[in-house]
Amino acid sequence: MNQCAAIDAFRLLVLVACSAPAAWLGWQWFFGDLGAVPGEAVVHVTGKTGQVLLLTTIAFSPAFRFTGWVGLMATRRQIGLWTFFWLVAHMLAWMGLDQYWDWPWIRREMVELPYIRYGVAALLLLVPLAITSFARVRQAMGWTAWHWLHRLVYVSAALGVAHYWILTRADYLLPSLFAAVLAALVLFRLIDAAIHRQ
Amino acid sequence: MTRYRYPSIPEAQVTPRELFESRRRFLNTGLALGAAAIAPGLLWPRSSYAWQGALEARIDSELPSHDLAGGEAPTSLRDITTYNNFYELGTGKRDPEIYGHQLVTDPWSLTIDGEVDKAGTFALEDVLRHQELEERIYRLRCVEAWSKVVPWIGFPLAKLLERHEPTSRARYVVFESIHDPDSLRGQRRSVLDWPYREVLRIDEAMHPLTLLAVGLYGEILPNQSGAPIRLVVPWKYGFKSIKSIIRISLVEERLPSSWEERNPEEYGFYANVNPQVDHPRWSQARERRIGESGRRETLMFNGYAEEVAHLYAGMDLQRHY
Repeated sequence: MNQCAAIDAFRLLVLVACSAPAAWLGWQWFFGDLGAVPGEAVVHVTGKTGQVLLLTTIAFSPAFRFTGWVGLMATRRQIGLWTFFWLVAHMLAWMGLDQYWDWPWIRREMVELPYIRYGVAALLLLVPLAITSFARVRQAMGWTAWHWLHRLVYVSAALGVAHYWILTRADYLLPSLFAAVLAALVLFRLIDAAIHRQ
Repeated sequence: MTRYRYPSIPEAQVTPRELFESRRRFLNTGLALGAAAIAPGLLWPRSSYAWQGALEARIDSELPSHDLAGGEAPTSLRDITTYNNFYELGTGKRDPEIYGHQLVTDPWSLTIDGEVDKAGTFALEDVLRHQELEERIYRLRCVEAWSKVVPWIGFPLAKLLERHEPTSRARYVVFESIHDPDSLRGQRRSVLDWPYREVLRIDEAMHPLTLLAVGLYGEILPNQSGAPIRLVVPWKYGFKSIKSIIRISLVEERLPSSWEERNPEEYGFYANVNPQVDHPRWSQARERRIGESGRRETLMFNGYAEEVAHLYAGMDLQRHY
């Protein structure tokens, strides 16, 4: 397989993988298989999908370092935008299916509850990254500025982990896993930077 | 205890026709099953189906029913049995239903010990034989801000405790759930310090609203709901209503409950439903009634203030949460 065909195939794989949870959710919703509180199930699935994709997006860069395969860099924006899609869906699902568009309460929870605050902050930090994902904007910004701005993704991921961690009641298995993966990715970044500076 | 009055039952609260008919159906098909269930019990006393057959027959007879949920419609059986917190079977809401079979409930025995004159370990059938069963429809409010209305079948805890004659030193009642990590997948992880333990003050335990439940919706308690015998304290958050009880000890000194031990800032000893005292991480002012959309206002003492508020007279509920 030539290089371009391989990248196209990978692009298609990302598309299928990132949209599959939506198809699954739609299917389950339609057949009433989301349990006694389907709205809560949608909030959980969108949030976990978003968090997994956020960590996967960050992992594309080290994966490129190890493999040298340009397909990873070519699809990084695609998966990054899917991440943004899922996290926006997560917030909308929370507002509509958990809070039933009760704006005074939505505002109150955003102000008063730390885990909601962290979640909102994590999503807001991704907004400039989504806006600057267009090739034209990136060129106008210049590579260095763009690169610095997009380091916000680590802050957003950390806030996302904190959001999940503090809303957990007792079972920290999945939040710990997310935290460990993020820690490994940050560690790689730091070591990689240190090596290159030498 | 003199303050407690049974409310008159409105017409709307008479057992629904389909429930009544399902009981008839249950009785018909159950006769054969019942015979099959009793037979091994006769051959091997207190082995399999020692208590189930007898209890099924009693539940199938007409039990007195008391609506103590202000006429609110009970949550559907499906919702009651597919959305549960029962960490012994896993931390997911559906885990208790999916893995409920891991809980072996027959034979079952209950130990009653500590500050009682008549301590001992009793087969469940012997415990139930002395108790009059009734249906009671209660609200159930989880600390996670969701709620249900459940038609329990059971008997007041006070009736059991009285039989075992608590001594004057009995000030608290400690309950312990089954501990069986070989069978119960959730107990292989230390999410909580197993076995699960709950504690009530003696006056809370003796209150006529405090129930030991053995059934719901006209049937034996499903495993995910805490079979074969569980506590129901309707004015407290659900975690106080301990499931699958194997031991009840009357003690002089207070012990922490499992959740209190895990996180005393978040789960107090009393855990009375109180819309004015928020959980440190979320609001308790509202709740999601399972099966409904939108949110409801949470009621003080889950709507049982008239019956139980006097138990806490003069206490600062912000501090004793």
